[in-house]
Amino acid sequence: MPDVNSEKAPLNKKPFSTKRSFSEKKKEALAGYLYISPFFILFAIFGLFPILFSFYLGFHRWNGFGEMEYVGFKNFSLILSDPLFWKSLSNTIIMWILGTLPQLLIGIILAYALNATIIKFKSIFRVSVFMPYVTSTVAVAIVFGIMFNDQPFGLFNIIIGWFGVDPINWSTSDWGLKIAISTMVFWRWVGYNTIIYLAGLQAIPGELYEAATIDGATTRQKIQYITIPMLKPIIILTVFTSTIGALQLFTEPLIMVGRTYREEGLTVVLYLYREAFNNMAFGTASATAIILFLIIIVLSSINVFIANRIGK
Amino acid sequence: MKKFVSLLTAGALALSLVGCSDSDEKASSSKSGSDEKVTLDFWVFGSTGYQKLIDEYQNDHPNVKIKLNEGEMNDMHNNLFTSISAGSGAPDIAMIEVSQMEKFKEASERFYNLNEYGAGDYEKNFLDWKWQQGQNVDGSFQMGFPTDIGPTALFYRKDVLDSAGLPTESEDLSAKLNTWEDFYDMAKTVKEKTGKPMSDSPELVFNALRDQQSEHYFNEKDELIIEESVKDAYDYTAKMIQEGLVGKNSLWTPEWGSAMAEGSYAMMPGAPAWMMGVVKGNAPEAGGKWSLTNIPEGAGNWGGSFLTVPKESKHPEEAVEFIAWLTSPESQLKSFNDMGLFPSTPDVYENEDFLATTDEYFSGQPTAKIFAEAAKSVKPVYMGKNYAIVNTEILTALTNVATKKADPEKEWTKAVERIEKQIGRQ
Repeated sequence: MPDVNSEKAPLNKKPFSTKRSFSEKKKEALAGYLYISPFFILFAIFGLFPILFSFYLGFHRWNGFGEMEYVGFKNFSLILSDPLFWKSLSNTIIMWILGTLPQLLIGIILAYALNATIIKFKSIFRVSVFMPYVTSTVAVAIVFGIMFNDQPFGLFNIIIGWFGVDPINWSTSDWGLKIAISTMVFWRWVGYNTIIYLAGLQAIPGELYEAATIDGATTRQKIQYITIPMLKPIIILTVFTSTIGALQLFTEPLIMVGRTYREEGLTVVLYLYREAFNNMAFGTASATAIILFLIIIVLSSINVFIANRIGK
Repeated sequence: MKKFVSLLTAGALALSLVGCSDSDEKASSSKSGSDEKVTLDFWVFGSTGYQKLIDEYQNDHPNVKIKLNEGEMNDMHNNLFTSISAGSGAPDIAMIEVSQMEKFKEASERFYNLNEYGAGDYEKNFLDWKWQQGQNVDGSFQMGFPTDIGPTALFYRKDVLDSAGLPTESEDLSAKLNTWEDFYDMAKTVKEKTGKPMSDSPELVFNALRDQQSEHYFNEKDELIIEESVKDAYDYTAKMIQEGLVGKNSLWTPEWGSAMAEGSYAMMPGAPAWMMGVVKGNAPEAGGKWSLTNIPEGAGNWGGSFLTVPKESKHPEEAVEFIAWLTSPESQLKSFNDMGLFPSTPDVYENEDFLATTDEYFSGQPTAKIFAEAAKSVKPVYMGKNYAIVNTEILTALTNVATKKADPEKEWTKAVERIEKQIGRQ
């Protein structure tokens, strides 16, 4: 600990002794680092270490207990030559398209409606739109599981029955299972995106619309030339977050196909989970994680590329 | 690198397990004399009702304190797996379910060999097959003490059989169901007379047949032997499915549960003792409509657990003494009366009170007696650590036959491919 005098000293001596003040600065900096260190320590243990360890494991064969054995790129070739991995990837992408695209489109429309001046009780609508996001995924998945019951008396089978469609065995049908999971994802996330869009819409200055009205612009023109371009950063944000979220889809399919790991509903993360905790193959599971990481990077880059062209 | 890795893992685990680690300190702080105070961490899953027995034990052994930690089955196994793998945070006593035993036997050096703590003296208390499941192939390493078991019987709906003109009394029905050929013929009758399937889920029919084999999916050299051992059971089930004699519901789904209440099928073959509670829970109104009898050609076992002592425990002697007491015939009888855990100690099966146990819900059948008979006839089976993989894939094949009208032979070939692919990676 510094003595009492040393605290006052720098004030007087500052012009003469730069060395002294430098060490004071150092001390201050150290204190600062100490204050922010809990985050970095926790991040190193729970964030950084698992990531690095996963990369390390990707090149090893390990059952969780015994010795690790270095196998080079064998895990990657095992995964990439497994048709089931490609099936899980195509499942993930199909569910991404089925769940995310309508989610963003309807999110914008809902946000536009909630932002409109004619709607009364706005806050109630806003809260209710956001409700699904707050609900526990497991509870959602169980409720949807009951609605997508395989029997003819299941809710969705009754609904499609009105249109003359035969009951679908949702839990084993290739498209049925994907539609069920995507519906769940859509329901849960649409409100979240709506709220983000709403915030974006409210940030657009009203003067722009007023000026456009004076110039005689139509509603369509206002949307096309004011709303969409001004909303562009928000749209990019939501596309990004929902792309990454959709590629990591896990809880919903786990609850729907959990015990059986049926390939119709297997996503990449579920495939990874099955490798690790069902088959005790942590090496191939880690390799899957690395491959997924690379896929996310590629898709995000494509997103950036496309996003930069919107409104140009 | 490795040391660093395990150190970090241990650190992370220590952090996450701070909540349950105070017992270690207490235990180690008073380590002197013969009357040392010992605290044992005890992880169990499901409804065991063990707290009552623990209280009783603590009264007789004032120096021993047992901290019971109850959780959900998968969570418990995952937690145990993580702590064993990291080498830190495991309890003094851990309960392991039979289907998970082989997996943990892979790490047997992280558990005490109970043979070194006099396990051999207790062997005679238990059913041979159950005792063998708790040890390695040559019996030199005893990893766990057996707790309850899940001997199987055939549950049936009296109302459905009645409307099909079949006998509804347990003995009469049993006399007509000597072979699986009889089962098939009876299924035809049920279908003709009532339009209902004989059984609901492909899994239960397949399990019942599989459990009568002395080898299931792997031999003791861990070679896949399903072509010889269970292909017949698969073919039989697939044929029943194709002829509409077996339904398509999967176990544990809501529709499976509601079918129990509605009586939309006639029988549940291969249902273990603990399934009685499941049926009652799903069909509380159907009391008296259900009954049970023997499975044609012999019973199997489904479920049951073991108590193990991980190497991390500092008090293996006290732990073994306690689990030997907890799994004794007397204690197991108490668990049965309390929570319906079916004892693995055949001594109990001679007990008059035990044998007199009847269940009004199941038409007043002497349930304990029927399951005790079943337990005695179970064949010991080597399961192997990849049992769950094979089971899942065969079940997927059967589900495809049932729900997609897929060709059983093609599905079987595909299932074998999937199994070999997954096993090849370990």
